[in-house]
Amino acid sequence: MGVIHGEEMVLNIGPQHPSTHGVLRLKVKTDGEIISEITPVIGYLHRCFEKHCENMTYDQVIPYTDRCDYLAAMANNFGYVVAVEELMELKVPEKVEYIRVIMAEFQRIASHLLALGVYGLDIGAFTPFLFMLRDRERILDMFEMTCGARLLYNYMWVGGVSHDLPKGFVETAFQFLDYFEPQIDEYNKLLTYNKIFVERTADIGVLPADVAISYGVSGPNLRASGVKWDLRRNAPYSIYDKFEFDVCIGDGSKGTLGDCWDRYYVRMLEVKESVKILRQALAQIPKDGDVHQALPKKIRPPKGSIYSRTETPRGDLGFYIESDGSPIPNRVKMRSPAFTALAVLGELAGGWMMSDVISILGSLDIVLGEIDR
Amino acid sequence: MTVDTLFSWLGGLIPAMEGSGILLVISILVPCLALFLVVAVNAIVMVYAERKVAAFMQDRVGPMGQGVGLHAGKWGLLQTVADALKLLTKEDIIPEKADRFLFILAPFVIFIGAFVTIIAVPFGETTIVADFNIGIFYILAMGSFGVIGIILAGWSSNNKWSLYGGMRSAAQIVSYEIPAGLSIIVIIMLTGTLSMQGIIEYQAGGMGNWIIFANPFTFIAFFVYFISVVAETNRTPFDIPEAESELVGGFHTEYSGMRWSFFFLSEYANMLVVSAVAATGFLGGWHSPISGYFDSNGWGIFWMVSKIVFLIFIMMWFRWTFPRLRVDQLMNICWKVFLPVSLINIFGVGIWTLFFG
Amino acid sequence: MSADQEKLIAELVEKGLAGDMDEINAIEDRVLRGKVKSALAKAKRAAKTTTTAAPAEEKRVAETIADTPPSDNPNQKFGQIIEDTFQGSLDAELNDTHIQLKPDNWFEIAKWLKSEPSLHFDSLQCHTGMDMGENMLEARYNLHSMTHDHKIEIRIAVSREKANIPSIEQIWRIGDWFERETYDMFGIFFDGHRDHRRMLLPEDWEGYPLRKDYEVQETYHGIAIPKVKEGWE
Repeated sequence: MGVIHGEEMVLNIGPQHPSTHGVLRLKVKTDGEIISEITPVIGYLHRCFEKHCENMTYDQVIPYTDRCDYLAAMANNFGYVVAVEELMELKVPEKVEYIRVIMAEFQRIASHLLALGVYGLDIGAFTPFLFMLRDRERILDMFEMTCGARLLYNYMWVGGVSHDLPKGFVETAFQFLDYFEPQIDEYNKLLTYNKIFVERTADIGVLPADVAISYGVSGPNLRASGVKWDLRRNAPYSIYDKFEFDVCIGDGSKGTLGDCWDRYYVRMLEVKESVKILRQALAQIPKDGDVHQALPKKIRPPKGSIYSRTETPRGDLGFYIESDGSPIPNRVKMRSPAFTALAVLGELAGGWMMSDVISILGSLDIVLGEIDR
Repeated sequence: MTVDTLFSWLGGLIPAMEGSGILLVISILVPCLALFLVVAVNAIVMVYAERKVAAFMQDRVGPMGQGVGLHAGKWGLLQTVADALKLLTKEDIIPEKADRFLFILAPFVIFIGAFVTIIAVPFGETTIVADFNIGIFYILAMGSFGVIGIILAGWSSNNKWSLYGGMRSAAQIVSYEIPAGLSIIVIIMLTGTLSMQGIIEYQAGGMGNWIIFANPFTFIAFFVYFISVVAETNRTPFDIPEAESELVGGFHTEYSGMRWSFFFLSEYANMLVVSAVAATGFLGGWHSPISGYFDSNGWGIFWMVSKIVFLIFIMMWFRWTFPRLRVDQLMNICWKVFLPVSLINIFGVGIWTLFFG
Repeated sequence: MSADQEKLIAELVEKGLAGDMDEINAIEDRVLRGKVKSALAKAKRAAKTTTTAAPAEEKRVAETIADTPPSDNPNQKFGQIIEDTFQGSLDAELNDTHIQLKPDNWFEIAKWLKSEPSLHFDSLQCHTGMDMGENMLEARYNLHSMTHDHKIEIRIAVSREKANIPSIEQIWRIGDWFERETYDMFGIFFDGHRDHRRMLLPEDWEGYPLRKDYEVQETYHGIAIPKVKEGWE
């Protein structure tokens, strides 16, 4: 039987579309339901982050990093301050390190919960999304308790954090963890092993490991392709070398290694690992200590440049900072994990159906604020 | 039948005009009005129920309010009224490049498709507008009428998303008509009649006589029918024609205000009709589950309505639990699973009746 | 799937494994192409799991690197190796922070950096531009090897008049977007880039914003761009 060819139609998915996760535009060539070519067009949320950084002092940059990846603002703060501290060769008190790790891991859970829930929404399941947001809300409550903000924190400062942990934080955190751990099984029952969900995600959008590395894909997306690479383990920063946790990788148990289901499931596993880290960190955190003790009077790093990476919920967040010895950075470049994850979409999504493209895009877990900066 | 009854009753009331055309028109219009009320009330109740069911399943409270004024009434009971007011007062936008005539026509076509089927739905022993001798066949035929409206809406909007939705919907509904129809044939084989009341009469005498429990094949047929009609009414997990995360709004992307709400009126009316057919065909219609008890006319309406409500609740349950299927998976299920199964069902019921019947 | 199709897929997968992707990409039928690609991915994965002995070999290579003489700073060490292999490609003295290269044979060097088993820089971590003042621009590449876990920074300086650097987009695929962004922000041209367009800014934007002497254009499509924000400070 011969193949019947129709004319190809160019379709714009976005910039306003329910499942582009922000203002992303995908220029798509379609033949009926099947997508032959896909070109992401970005820049709709470009806010000149890097140009702004060249006009303000080092500490003034921190609130801007919040607004890049607004779903994991703590992790972005963390990445930036680690880079500046490394450049200044600044040592921060142990208590501060613990607080930072606690915040970063809570942020990882919050961010993954949103990613997983929204992914369910992309596939058409509404309820898991609200279940996960309900639990994410409790984490945001704890952030609010600590620093007064729920989304954009400006919490981590160079050399310290803005507020000490409030009274009762540790107890609240343990309560939350006790409540939260059984919830993961509920999500699994509701969504992860749902037959329709598996049908929609397994074997879809397979990302082989070598392609992933060539595209610089990192974080859960890379681990889902079977590469055991986690900066918290492979190049520990802060005090991550003190904690016991597993680096979760995809195993292709529902389909091919590196498919959408693996990417989804790796996030689910990572949430469990974060809980593990949190339990250790909360138990070990030093009782006293001043979180403002190591704050430098003036942040004036020596001349030179640094490229430093941290593991955010979305992957390797790199900050390339060049200092000319003045209190204003000469250049701050943010290498965002979502940027590289979106770059691979064109390679991944060709030849799939319309619905699959949405499911592939959702599985990459991108945040446009970070891509466009 | 109600129209005839009304006609002769009116004729008796005003002997001068007995048999005149005016009385005929009146006696047709009155049941129509009643039916419209049924559809409207159905939509109002269902929108509220849908919100509340969704909310409870999602660990929320749904629409709430205390007192009157700007609140949505006690327990949010006035939510649907507020919704309706909002929809009525919204700007009616017709895209410039749209095919105006078809764009305006489409919602009405869909609504008519849903509306006319209710004529043949028996709500009680005597509560039926018209008991045709081909009732169930008529419902099936008119039920597929709505798809024309969906295709029209998809095409006339001059929007690529709408077109996608329209095409998907056409393929889906046409496919799922077949397993649904074949499952209905099972009923007809057993009862030997196409009349809705006739089918219900056949099931008199308690739960054991309901067609769903008649033999193993009819039990399967019920589920094939029910899942097929969920697909036919474009509900999750088969809502690919309007798949929000993929197609924005599908065939109704460009519609707004009251025109948009017509799609919803007809979606809920459709749900009502298909549930009514399922209740009639498989669950004994207005018969009480226990023979001889609660069997009066009023109870008949109660049983019918509660069976319908139960089935609709299951549809809502589906919607708030399952993810959405992909279009090719949907077709695979239809042609590779449901079609063979329903054919086997027909054969099986034939054999069963031959040996045990 | 017919038997013919399966045979075709098997053939194409074999070719793909041998590195010939052109034929696969040329398949007209998209469903078939998708099938071939996923089959290829499966085959690659299978190949990987069967040759679990490979890491031992890699370790040996890593040991030979460790044996190479004294300076343990990767930028010094690998800079020397590059200079040994590509004579005259260094643009400045070796130092601890980076390797300064000339733009001329950057493409060949990059290709070699990735393919040479003892180096195997398989991941381009970061790429950015820099305005060095005095009419000079610089492109910086942070390379990292996942297998050996070593990293270097490479810098290539060019003048503003002749801001051309060979594109490495075909070596590290992420280079595609990274280079577009650098072009967008600094106006460095990447020769051989297959999709040389602006990335974040609109196609018809004037100027390169991250240059230090950048001035915002007066109007954009008739919209005045305010230089001083009123009501601030």
